[in-house]
Amino acid sequence: MNDMRIVERTVDSHQTKITARGVQVYYGEKHALKDVDVDILDKTVTAFIGPSGCGKSTFLRCLNRMNDTVAIARVQGDIRLDGDDIYDKRVDPVQLRAKVGMVFQKPNPFPKSIYDNVAYGPRIHGLTANKAELDAIVETSLRKAALWNEVKDRLAESGTGLSGGQQQRLCIARAIATSPEVLLMDEPCSALDPIATAQVEELIDELRSQFSVVIVTHSMQQAARVSQRTAFFHLGNLVEYGETGQIFTNPKDPRTESYITGRIG
Amino acid sequence: MSHQPHIASAFDRDLEAVQALIMKMGGLVEAAILDCARALETRDEELARQVVAGDKVIDALEAQVNDETARLIALRSPTATDLRTALTVMKIAGSLERMGDYAKNIAKRSTVLSQSAPIGGTAGTARRMAKLVEQMLKDALDAYIRRDVALAADVRQRDKDVDQIYNTLFRVLLTHMLEDPRAITNSMHLHFIAKNLERMGDHSTSIAEQVIYLVTGELPDEARPKGDSTAFVTSAKD
Repeated sequence: MNDMRIVERTVDSHQTKITARGVQVYYGEKHALKDVDVDILDKTVTAFIGPSGCGKSTFLRCLNRMNDTVAIARVQGDIRLDGDDIYDKRVDPVQLRAKVGMVFQKPNPFPKSIYDNVAYGPRIHGLTANKAELDAIVETSLRKAALWNEVKDRLAESGTGLSGGQQQRLCIARAIATSPEVLLMDEPCSALDPIATAQVEELIDELRSQFSVVIVTHSMQQAARVSQRTAFFHLGNLVEYGETGQIFTNPKDPRTESYITGRIG
Repeated sequence: MSHQPHIASAFDRDLEAVQALIMKMGGLVEAAILDCARALETRDEELARQVVAGDKVIDALEAQVNDETARLIALRSPTATDLRTALTVMKIAGSLERMGDYAKNIAKRSTVLSQSAPIGGTAGTARRMAKLVEQMLKDALDAYIRRDVALAADVRQRDKDVDQIYNTLFRVLLTHMLEDPRAITNSMHLHFIAKNLERMGDHSTSIAEQVIYLVTGELPDEARPKGDSTAFVTSAKD
């Protein structure tokens, strides 16, 4: 299959960023995620696909300990970021989330100015010494999020006044302002129109040069377009994980085949 | 077709429709192969004309397969087996179209050959070769419909039999030409006929390989037996 890949699809990093072993998640009695083993590569876009309730978002939320905020959720197993256990008692989840940023389904800018939305993370983490440094971070983040040219003259205006697509790019700018190493995206385009979606996808592809990006999506075409590796989840199991081109042309597991070809699975 | 229906049943109908076109094309090409060889051996010029005229229908079907497949890809974004189905129908349609052209070419040459005395038993040998090729094509198409990798692999193996008959005809025709220069024109026509049949065998093999790709996701990589050695012939004594 290797010779089928075109250049852009090639995974150019083989360095593992996140290692998950034997991850189990329970929501009360419900066993939501069953014994998941995954290696997520650095500088690679990894897509998680699967039907609703398959555990893909649950697993994504394990990666920056978002499940800590769910009272009935119980996470077992071993998840390591660059070899360090992220569930270690000494790890501060807030610090972890600065390293493992997240973008959500619906754009959720703070009801603050565009500038303050982006400056929020660097401020609370004390990443800058003065206003000039903060200005620089805000500008670079907005540039990386491909939003700078559209908002540079109205940084003081409210973030909620932007269009949906702009709001989502603002949230991406906010997430990358703390210089994360991993960016988690949970359905980042589901509330966006096709043009805004294309802009966010283009952005994801550019961000890959700096971060490891993990995206949960219901759109298989989106997974096919933006990712280099794809993981298919079904009923809490990780069914198949492989190079995106292989998953979409020649999946090995019949459950993956049924799902991606739109058959009853 | 595949084990499970799509949630969108129109997708299944589209896929089945385009595969039905392939089968229709296949039936016409099988008939053309048998007819052109019969026209050659029995010197039936009317049958030869029918084969020539019938090629237009095969060409039109290929165009229709290409259109329908392009539409399917654009509208349905097929993946996995569905994608491989879309890719293989286009390739198979291309192979069938070439085979139709070869049959047409044989039919045209047969009308020339029927004007003069036959060259030994070569027309009969060519007809035997055509029957082998037709059986290969039939089995390749059956393997396609049944998704039968074993049958497809068997078709691949059989191409060497066709190649061997071609080798024999090549040598026989060379001998005729050396013995009697007046036989050169007809021998050349017969050689092209034999070569056309040999190429049809290759196309049947290629269809069988598409079946293997469709089912397994990979083309067979082990070398297929090849029997055509005429590319290395240097003289009649060879």
